Amino acid sequence: MLRYLFVRRTDWTVLVIACTLSLSMMLLEARMQARVAWFLQHTLLAPFEYAVGWVDQSVGVFWENHQLRSRLTQLQIESDALQAERIENVRLRRLLHLEERHPYDLVAASVVARSLDRLGGSLTIDKGTADGVEPGRAVLTPDGLVGRAERSTPHETRVLTLLNRDCAVAARIERTRVDGVLEWEFGSQPVLNLRYISSQEDVQVGDRVVTSGLGGIFPAGIRIGTVAKVALDPNGLMKEIVINPAVDFRSVEEILVYTPSDLRGTAPADLFLEEPKPVLTPADSMSADSGAVRPVPTAKAVAATAQPKEGAAPDKVVR
Amino acid sequence: MRWVRDAVVLLVALVLQSTVLHRIEIAGARPDLLVAYVVYIAWMRGPVVGTVVGFGVGLIQDLDASVPLGLNALAKSIVGFLVAKAGFGVHRANAGVRFAFFFIAMLVHDVIYYAVATDGDLVAFGKQMVLTAVPSALYTGVVVVILLGIVETFSRRPLLADEV
Repeated sequence: MLRYLFVRRTDWTVLVIACTLSLSMMLLEARMQARVAWFLQHTLLAPFEYAVGWVDQSVGVFWENHQLRSRLTQLQIESDALQAERIENVRLRRLLHLEERHPYDLVAASVVARSLDRLGGSLTIDKGTADGVEPGRAVLTPDGLVGRAERSTPHETRVLTLLNRDCAVAARIERTRVDGVLEWEFGSQPVLNLRYISSQEDVQVGDRVVTSGLGGIFPAGIRIGTVAKVALDPNGLMKEIVINPAVDFRSVEEILVYTPSDLRGTAPADLFLEEPKPVLTPADSMSADSGAVRPVPTAKAVAATAQPKEGAAPDKVVR
Repeated sequence: MRWVRDAVVLLVALVLQSTVLHRIEIAGARPDLLVAYVVYIAWMRGPVVGTVVGFGVGLIQDLDASVPLGLNALAKSIVGFLVAKAGFGVHRANAGVRFAFFFIAMLVHDVIYYAVATDGDLVAFGKQMVLTAVPSALYTGVVVVILLGIVETFSRRPLLADEV
């Protein structure tokens, strides 16, 4: 029988074995799948990751250099303009009696490799422990949260995006402060589900979703996306909430790694697109209405010009 | 010697797939060199090697994926087997035949992949097939036929030779 299978019907036998192995792995529990994947990844994929790093260091640098030259020129012009605006901003803040924003470190990095899988799920960036990027750091763009650093070498870091099964995020509906856990659901993509929210809670389509900071990995206040769909689960106990991510994971090329001294701190309010409106005292409002108040610098501007300052107050625009 | 060459080609395909191909993405469609590699190997080496290589390459993809472990391995094993079975005795040197094989193989792969990945949601499945699978299959077919043509021109021997 075995002789018949392996000698005369080798092709069909191999196909059946391959399909059986594949289906067996698919039927494993998610936790077990993650363990098997982790083990194989550190044995099978290690040479490949080394090769990717090597290509990035040699061939990839040529490509990147071409882009960086043109970008450098553009950034130099922007930098000059921002410098002038920063000086003006400081002067106006003093005028309005506003405190300086609190410091935070953002390490800029470029994406050098993407997940091999069609649906994505991970990125490799060109900064590592030598640049202060360590596992567990929040990774973001000015649009919002990308994911978290999973493991780092001195010059590279693997980032799990929100579209990875191993990247769950403690999240919050910004309007109502309702907490939940954001998870990528295996199904039609790119769909993120906000789970563990009671059917009694107030959640509406269009509500903004931000990190809650409860997980201890992501600082609070980072934009994740907006609520796209709200429904009740079959039991009627919990809400099924679908989130539209703010970040387009397929096209992200430059990212920032958040490296605060205290991960439980609050993310800077001005980091995520919305420009906070200063609350003015009646005395101040005269000068504000006159058009003297300029908008607070946007994320890119802040990232480019932020200078760490000791003892600064956390995330309060106005005192 | 040919095994060494195949391994090097696989390594190059893996590196290109994860580092370069997203730069030539058009409206969400990008060439899938890994499916193309499985098709190439299956076509040249037969169903046993095609299935084994499909399983191995798929498993490598699965380790880095958001989908259940084994999905890519399953899809590529079946594609490797079917291509080897269907491709026996056809005129491999013909560019049109090559394109058709790579295109259909990509579609078969994506049908299996998205059928599982969308978890039975027919609307999502249809959407993925129309918006992603068909454009990617076309793109892959064109890119691979051009690549094979270029390599064959420089090496002056057919990479996908007809059966002797």
